[in-house]
Amino acid sequence: MSLAVQLAGLRLKNPLIAASGTFGYGVEYEGILDLSRLGGIVSKGLYLEPRDGCAVPRIVETPSGLLNAIGLQGVGIRAFVRDVLPRLDGYDTAVIVNVCGDTVEEYAEVARIAEAPGVDALEINISCPNVKKGGMAFGGDPRMTHEVVAAVRKATRLPVIPKLSPNVADVTVFARVCEEAGADALSCINTLLGLAVDVERRMPRLAFGTGGLSGPAIRPVAVRMAWQAARAVRIPVIGIGGIASAEDALEFLIAGCRAVQIGTANFVDPGVYSRILAGLEDYLRRHGRESINDVVGSLRFPDAEETGGGGC
Amino acid sequence: MVATTSPRPPASRDVPLVARRPLQGPYLLLTFRHPEVAGRTRAGQFVMIKANTAADPLLRRPFSIMSVHPAEDTFTLFLKVVGSGTRALADLRSGETAGCLGPLGRPFPMPPEDHEALLVAGGYGIAPFVLFGDELRRAGRRARAFYGGRTSGDLQGHDPFTALGLPLACCTDDGSFGHHGRVTDAVEAYLDTRPGAVTLYACGPDAMLHAAARLAERRNVPAQVSLDPWMGCGVGTCLGCVVRIQRADEPRGKYRCACTEGPVFDARDVVWAGEGSSRARREAAAVLR
Repeated sequence: MSLAVQLAGLRLKNPLIAASGTFGYGVEYEGILDLSRLGGIVSKGLYLEPRDGCAVPRIVETPSGLLNAIGLQGVGIRAFVRDVLPRLDGYDTAVIVNVCGDTVEEYAEVARIAEAPGVDALEINISCPNVKKGGMAFGGDPRMTHEVVAAVRKATRLPVIPKLSPNVADVTVFARVCEEAGADALSCINTLLGLAVDVERRMPRLAFGTGGLSGPAIRPVAVRMAWQAARAVRIPVIGIGGIASAEDALEFLIAGCRAVQIGTANFVDPGVYSRILAGLEDYLRRHGRESINDVVGSLRFPDAEETGGGGC
Repeated sequence: MVATTSPRPPASRDVPLVARRPLQGPYLLLTFRHPEVAGRTRAGQFVMIKANTAADPLLRRPFSIMSVHPAEDTFTLFLKVVGSGTRALADLRSGETAGCLGPLGRPFPMPPEDHEALLVAGGYGIAPFVLFGDELRRAGRRARAFYGGRTSGDLQGHDPFTALGLPLACCTDDGSFGHHGRVTDAVEAYLDTRPGAVTLYACGPDAMLHAAARLAERRNVPAQVSLDPWMGCGVGTCLGCVVRIQRADEPRGKYRCACTEGPVFDARDVVWAGEGSSRARREAAAVLR
């Protein structure tokens, strides 16, 4: 029985990847869990320079969800390559750098520096809702999306994985634009733009105002968008959004995702990977499948006869 | 900053509740079995814990560890029920489990040997001082505590603390128990008796911590404050619990995670909202001179 998956030229030992912004730089979890059990790790978003991030409060809990406006606080790509990468060297897991920029040129420059020994792929952050420049501003405009992805494509030989925003009318437009610009895979989705109000003070509960919603609250939206994207392009899709159990991960895989990322669940329980891996193996056993790849894209919609006919 | 590796990382596990002792009002004591927390915790450290209640509430919550019982592999939390997360913990029955990660964070540093430790607690801020009082007593240090709340019912951590045999002064805003007035006023009255060298430690609501920090600055005594911002993960990855800390040679200070670089900080370095840090004020005054 195999959980291994192939993705954008990478071979992952299993389809579970730690999502950007929810796993630090990986090293924070040394000792708490065995990093080698993960299929991969995506770093916190990295710019050329260190970033201070948003004012506080930065996080607020909402029903089955987490609304955040961290603002991409980070150490910068050079410190990551110099200080963090060597510490990840001993772990048997794919290291994916999340590339950020205020400008197209910055994305390309970060991508160039990130192409260091030990880095396996680049995820392009064109979907962070909590920065004034770059982020969602690029990922919400097909022309800018194309420009950023093409610039990073040109700057690196590593696999390039744009992370798409859900805050668009038609995600398939952006999925196709990324594929045309040379992307090797897609990450779907980043957080949903949200607003939580402190009614006593009549002010937003986050200092930044709006924030990005994650956690189980967004899972059906994320599964739908990942499914749409997977049908729209030939490159593989990595599903993200509220995964906390094997069943949650399977929803994305069955809907057509080649792999998945675990985000907010890392905060709730760093031991979540062991539980999900055990659950995936159990599922394959129960369904008599040899490989997790047999499950990918196996979603079928009932025909009219099965539903009693008539549609809606 | 990237967190450095701790030689003894915290452990994440499902922990069974072994004892539950209701106190008055919304307060209670909960004891869980967790060998690593019981064996390694130092005063001021905390656990991230949540009753296993599916997705709502979603996140674990940080709680200071009130006491540890290494022989039984257990630790005790002092809980005030304020919302759905604390309600779910309070409703656990013996044998039911909670997801728990710990011990986490920077503990209270020991005071210099010739200093008396003044432990200043507000409400459930008494919790870490039960363990710290025990550490100080075992180390043969002098210590006394000041414990304040709005009303007598808020001083439910009174008994575990007095069991340590350390001097304890209670204060209530309404005068229903102990001194009538704010806890920091009681500390100031004690300082007026010229007790010799002291180090102040404070844990409680933000306004009380701020008042304690100002008092320490005014009286020129070293102080450590235990901050309690919203926390997501407890290990420095969500960056939700950052506080602005301004150490020497940091003109603007830096956002630092309360979970990994705190929750206990030197009061001089804390940048209070709208005010800045006392270090910055001191340095500005030195420039003016």
